[in-house]
Order: sequence, then C-alpha cells, then structure tokens
Amino acid sequence: MFDFIKYKYVSISFSAILIAVGFGVTFGKYGGFATSLDFDGGLRAVVEFPENVERKNLEEYFSAKNLEAVLVLMDKDKNDYQIDIGLGSVDQIKQLYIERKGKDSVEAKQASAIDALIGLLQEDFKLEKKKILSANQVGSVVGAELTSTGISLLGLTLFFIMIYLSFRFQFKFALGAILALIHDLVITIAFIGFFQIKPSVPIIAALLTLLGYSINDTIVVFDRIRENAGNLRDTFSKVINLSINQTLSRTFNTSVATLISVVAIIIGGAVELYDFAYVLTFGIILGTFSSVFIAAPLVDIYDTLSQRWKRS
Amino acid sequence: MKSVQWIFVPILVVASSLTLLYPNFAERELELAVRKEFKELPEETRKEVLSNFAERWKTDYNPKSDWQIEPDPNIFPDQDYYLVKGRFITSAKINQLSQENQELILEPKNKLRPTWVEEYIFGGRPLAIRLGLDLQGGMRVVLKGDFDDYTSKLKDSYTKEIEELTRKKSDASLSEKERKEAQDKLKEIESYFELTPSRKLAELEKAKLIIDNRLTNQNLTEPQVRIQKDQDSIEVSLPGVSNSSQILDIIRNTETVEYRLREPSDSNANSRGTYHDAIELEEMKLMNEGRKEETEIVKFQNIVKQKLGKDEQDKFLAAMEKKYNIPEKYKLYVKWSRANNPKASLLPREFVVLERAISLDGKDMRNARESYDQNRLSYYVSFSLTSQGAEKFFDITSKNVGRQLAIVWGDKVISDPVIRSPIAGGNAQIDGEFGQKEATDLANVISEGALPIPLNVLEMRFIGPTLGIESIEVGLKAVLLGFALVIVFMLVIYRLSGFVADIALLVNVIVLMALLSLMGFTLTLPGFAGIILTVGMAVDANVIIYERIKEELASGKHVSAAVAQGFDNAFWTIMDSNVTTLISGILMIKLGNGPIKGFAITLCWGIITSLFTSLFLSRMIMDLLVNKFGVRKLRIGFKKLESKNV
Repeated sequence: MFDFIKYKYVSISFSAILIAVGFGVTFGKYGGFATSLDFDGGLRAVVEFPENVERKNLEEYFSAKNLEAVLVLMDKDKNDYQIDIGLGSVDQIKQLYIERKGKDSVEAKQASAIDALIGLLQEDFKLEKKKILSANQVGSVVGAELTSTGISLLGLTLFFIMIYLSFRFQFKFALGAILALIHDLVITIAFIGFFQIKPSVPIIAALLTLLGYSINDTIVVFDRIRENAGNLRDTFSKVINLSINQTLSRTFNTSVATLISVVAIIIGGAVELYDFAYVLTFGIILGTFSSVFIAAPLVDIYDTLSQRWKRS
Repeated sequence: MKSVQWIFVPILVVASSLTLLYPNFAERELELAVRKEFKELPEETRKEVLSNFAERWKTDYNPKSDWQIEPDPNIFPDQDYYLVKGRFITSAKINQLSQENQELILEPKNKLRPTWVEEYIFGGRPLAIRLGLDLQGGMRVVLKGDFDDYTSKLKDSYTKEIEELTRKKSDASLSEKERKEAQDKLKEIESYFELTPSRKLAELEKAKLIIDNRLTNQNLTEPQVRIQKDQDSIEVSLPGVSNSSQILDIIRNTETVEYRLREPSDSNANSRGTYHDAIELEEMKLMNEGRKEETEIVKFQNIVKQKLGKDEQDKFLAAMEKKYNIPEKYKLYVKWSRANNPKASLLPREFVVLERAISLDGKDMRNARESYDQNRLSYYVSFSLTSQGAEKFFDITSKNVGRQLAIVWGDKVISDPVIRSPIAGGNAQIDGEFGQKEATDLANVISEGALPIPLNVLEMRFIGPTLGIESIEVGLKAVLLGFALVIVFMLVIYRLSGFVADIALLVNVIVLMALLSLMGFTLTLPGFAGIILTVGMAVDANVIIYERIKEELASGKHVSAAVAQGFDNAFWTIMDSNVTTLISGILMIKLGNGPIKGFAITLCWGIITSLFTSLFLSRMIMDLLVNKFGVRKLRIGFKKLESKNV
C-alpha cells in the first residue's frame, strides 16, 4: 500500500510548479495565449483571385510573409477565397505595408490593418478593387459567447456541485472536489498556453469533457472514503489512504480505457481533432492525478486544520 | 430471480433503437430533379452542361465512387430525375450538387426518398441525425435586427395621425372629452415606438418564421434558423451552400407588395393626373429638343444601370417631388417594364404619382401562385384575399371605377391597371411583364409576407464543404477505432465480465444515438466530445462494479452473492458521480449556447443511457450468467479470483 497522504505536499508542490511553469512560459515567452479568430477576432477578407492562383500559391505567399492565414475556398468556379488572419499577425501586416509604401507616405500613415491587407493583396496579385468581395475586422464569435456565459456558468456549476456534495457527503468533500476541479482547469489552461494551442470550439469541448471526467473521478474516490470512514476506527488520514489504494485499480483501468478512445483520435489521423485530443489526453492524465494526489489530500489537510481550530 | 422476465425490456429498447437508426446507415435514394426547361436549351449548351456535370460527378462529387447514379450523368434521364443511391448522403452534398448545377437541377423538386422507417412509422418525417456545419461544411450568417430603422419607419407611417392628434389635443374648440381621447390615443401611438425586449423578440420570431419559409422555398436541405436573444440577432446555418450572395439577398429581402391608387386625373381624356402630366410635358420638351440624356427618366435609368443603390434612387425621387411641388398626400414612384421585346431587361420607364395611403397591403393577400399566360407569352401571379382584404378590395374598386390602381412591389410599380368594375370575391391577379423568376419571387413575397425588420449582416462565415466531409469521415473512423480498442481492452482485463460490459457499452451508444436522432439533434464536434465522455463514463461505471465484485470475491464470498453485493456497493458511487456530472450538464444546457449546449445535450442523455445500461442491463446479464447459466468462476483481472465456496 502506497502512502499517498505522506507525500501530499510533494504532489501539491508538483502541481504548483506545473502551474507556475505553464503560465510562466505562456506569458514570459509567448506574451499570452495563442490568438485565434474564433476568440480574439481578426481580419477577414473574401477575395476573388485570378484563375491561375491556387491554394498552394496563396499558402506560400502568406508563409513567405510570415503571416498566419487560414484559407477557405468558398466558390470553386469563381476562385473565391476567404482569408482569415488572426490578431497576432495584424502588426506584421501593417509593418509590411509601411515598408512597401515608405514610412512617410500618406497611405501608410492612415492605413488601418484591413487597408494594409487589401493594399498588399491588390498589388501582389494585380487585383481590381471589385475582386475584393469583402474585407473587415471581425469580432470574436466563440470568445464573446463564452466570456459572457462562461464564467457565470463555471461559478454556478461549482456552486451546485458543492451543494449536492455537501448534502450527499460533507462540506469538506465538497470543498476538496471543487478545489481539485479548479486545479485541473487551471493546469489544463496553463498547458494550452505552454504549447500555444489555439483556443477554438473543440478546445472548449475538451475543457468541458475534462470537467465532467474530473468530477466523476474524484467522486469515486470520495465515495470510498465516506464508506470506509463509517466502518473503520483508524485516523482519517489512514482511511483516505486506504480508500485511494482500494480504488486504485479502478482509477487506473478507467483512465486507460478513456485514454485509449482519445488517443485513437490521434492515431486515426483526424488532423482537425488533434488539438482537441491533445488537451483531452493531458486532461485525463491530470484528472486521474488530481483525484488521487490532490483532491483527497486536500480533504485531509482541511480536516487536520479544522481539527486543530476546534482544539484551540 | 426476476431477470428472466425482464429480459424483453433491453431487447425491445435495442430493437427500437436500431430501427430508429436505420435511416442513418441504410442505403438511401436521392432524386435529383432535372429542370424541364433544360430540354429547350440549345443542343450545344446542353452538351456542355451535361459534360460539366459528369466531370464534376467523377472528380468532386463522388471521387470514391461509392454512390451510384442513374442514368450516367452524361445522358439526360428519361424520367425527370437522376437517381442517386448511396450511404451517408449529406444535405451539404445535396445542396452542393444542386447549387453548382443550377441550369440542370431544379432544387425545389429534389427529394431524398424516405426509408421504410420514416415512411411507415413516422409518416415521412426525416429521421437521420443532422450534422452541424463544423462537420459537413457550409455557411453561417448572423443577422442583426436593425430596430432603429424599424422604429423610424414606424414613426413615419404615423406622422399624419400624430400631427392630427397633437392639433386636436390643444384645440380649444373641442370638448374636454374629445381632447382627452386624442391625448390617450397619442399616448397609445407613442407606446408603439417603445421596443421592449419582449416586443423585439416577437418581431425577431416573425422574421425567423419568414426566413424559414423563404429558405424552404429555396429547398435547401436542413437550413437552420435560430434566434440569439441576447444579441437581437438571428443565426442562419446553411449546410453546403456556397452561392452566398444570392441566398443572403433572399433572406434579407424586405420587399413588400401593396396596392396604391393613382392620383386622380381631371376631365381631360388623355390626362393621367396633374403631376404626372406636368412631368411628362417637361420630358417631352427635352426629347423634342434632342436632349434625351437630360430627361429625368434617363437620368434615373443611369442610376439604376450604374448600381448606385437604393439611397441614390430615393434621393433622386425626393428631389423631383420637390421640383414638381408634389404635395405630401402623394408620392412619386417609377414604373418598371420591358421595352417591346419580352426578353429585354426590366427597367424604369415612366414616373407615376400615387397616393401615399396604402389601399391594400400584403397582409390582406395570401396563397399566391405564378402561372403562365399562353396568349400574352408572359407570367402572371394569382392570389386570394383574406375575408377582410376582399371587403376592402371591393370597397376600393367600387368607389374608384375608372381610376388606376397600381401594384407596388418593393419600390417599383409593376402594373397599374384601370379599375373597370367593382371586384368582388376573394381572388385577384397581377399581370405584369414578368419572367418566370420574377413571377415566382413576387408570389413568394405575397405568400410569405414581408420581413418585419431590416436585417444587417453581423457575421458571415464559411466552412469549406469538402474539408468538412473529409474531417467527418476521418473523425468517425477515429471514434470507431477508439471504440474497438476500448472493447478489446475490457475483454482482456475483465474477460467474461468485460464481454458483458462491452454489450452494455454498445447498447449505450446505440440507444444514445437513437435518442439524438429522435430529438432531431444536430451533431457537432462538441457533440462528439460528449459521446466520447459518455463512453468513458459508461466504461467507468462497469469498472467500478467489477472492482467491487472482485473485492467481494477476494473476501471469499460466493459468486452470486459477490455479484449482488458488488452491484449494491457500486450503486451510490455511480449515482453520485453521474448526478454531479448531470448537474454540470443541465447548467450548460440552460446557460450555455452554441458549442457548449451541443456538448451538454449529448452528455446529459449519455448519462441517462449509461445509468440504464450499467445499473440495469449489466446487472441483469450478470444475474442471468451467474444464476441461470451457472457460471461459477469470474476471472476479473490477471489474478485468478474464484469463489472458494462453490
């Protein structure tokens, strides 16, 4: 039997380091999270290119200019492309335009990012003005939807879970579960920043899945603790430790089974789901880790502290 | 044990689920309707269109040739459709096919033949699970209601009444009571302009209904229109659509149809009204001097030809109204018609002065249909009137015999026949110089009514259709692969019990998909995520149970007792963990939108189905195995754990 409780501070410190490193790299090295059109908005232009311009040409064009652009072919017959450029590349576009026009030219001084993009495309592909079908700065779609509801949603969810767990278990379990949940979310978000994964709808889905998985995992362990606490005359710490050990093979088997189905997405080559699968793989490992090393030990710490308060 | 009697429940559930899912995986038949007019095209054009279609069929539409088409796309079919047979025919594909071959295929007549399940059990209602745009590609437009414009137009229409009432309110010659009445009426009118959120919502609902109808008439398969309450906007999702501007025009069209009387003419037989005559005189003068280019009508035609927009046209007309001193009571319009040649384009030809008051508007008309008039070689639109409309129409036509009654479509006068005699009965028709498309459009505007609020495009987004279809195929394979691996894993770890868990898992997914398909749920990528989590939780429930049974066996209990005890011990664990997840799921459905909601719906239903399979189905099968079939050894895990007191 492994003594999880004995090493609780080691595991909590480990988590703390993960969080520090994750956010440190995110903000220190990259200056924040990766930008995406879904979340931060950006530039969007719909352009009708001459027939001889193919997707490959366009991709080469943008990568040569060091611009991150997402291309969608809208109309095959007309060779219409939708070009999405994230906020991250906006400065670069302006810079290029200023270089082209000369620093002191009126055009360069007054140009907005979208003007700069149109200017560059028009010159480089010799386009007439009317071939630029639309061009505008777009707002964030998912980002706006989520920031408005996301935080209140998370708060309410945690609140209701807390009520349910306090009712079914005890307050200290509810607290442990909620903290473990926040722990998982924070580290996963740090992970997303660390690897500069672009926030998108699938990433949100992955975070939500993780939330569900993590709660589930933690409760199974807690349930065992509750059961054992009634039967045994041991100290609470020992009960926790015993319960973790008893549920260990279940925790392991479930994690492996769930991981298999997620890893299959990566093996199966669903490129568009890669980010989703990475976040989920990491999240499941983390969720498993937290239910064993974080949630229950936190309950133990809270229990010890409250005992001490009662005595003093 | 009661298990034996209950065995029919899961069998029934699985059987009906599979029936429900049948339309999803069965081979389907799609009738791609061919335009009748296609036959009348010149031979050369026909050949070209057909060979284009055949070419695209081979390269783009069906590169893997897993669909069959009859006859060969190079040949014009004998019956009036091509028959496409195959699995997984998505609406995006149908829309792509018909929109990219508009000369050949007639969208409104395309038909995905219902499977027997849909035909006989659900009375033709389509049952296949819909795929979201992220999975099959298409176009998403968010349209924001322009309520400022709406109120300002509304205010315009009440200008006269407000003036009148304001005068009455402070008119000392009127009695106290009459003044009070005027004041109340004024207040009531003012309240019309205050848009409460619930009124905005009501207007958006009306707009949604009309957009729905218009899209149905385009026969786009599975368009989705939903209101985003918090943003006063309407979101439209169109799978597989690539000819965006045309569809967008149709959605946003705010055109109305109404009848207005022409200004009265004086006794002179040639006169068509004082102001009309004044304008005509001036135009004639310029024409006679050979200054055709300076005539107002040519100037106006130029505005139209150069596509300067409606604002410019309105400005021009307002200036003319001023120039000719046309009183407030009347309004200047332009009559559009064709030159002598019926194939010529519709252009403004003549200025017409109409009463500002509307005699009959679109609300009074319904059931419009376009028809072809053999004698005049053009289309006309017939419609019926509501009972109230019929009364009004009779009233107007009987009081104004000899006057002209103009039909205004949008801002164009399209016809202005003279009233010969009072028209009774509920039917009428509009003859204009219509082509087929115009007649259809006009009929649609009358039948569906006008859009109550102008809509601005807030956001427009394309998801490349081919990209989407590839990604769903790969995604589906990946999910199936994962599923297969999980099944093998469970078999390896839990042997016979693992097999039971696998059955439970399969049933779980089948029932879940059937439920989603019954609800008309639209599956998106986040929805997929929800299903993956469901699989994980279903596996987990079984693992918890088996680990419990294992413990009971290790403590030396009899197999049958161990199984019963294992299930009992696991019950509340499974309940607690599922209920907590369910709580978060329900909150996500209530508060979340878009991706979050899609995820949460699959998750919540998944929890319910997995509770059923793990707590009821698994238990029943295990019961049967242990108590009926006399299984005495359960090997769980790699250690041999057998009950010792056999």
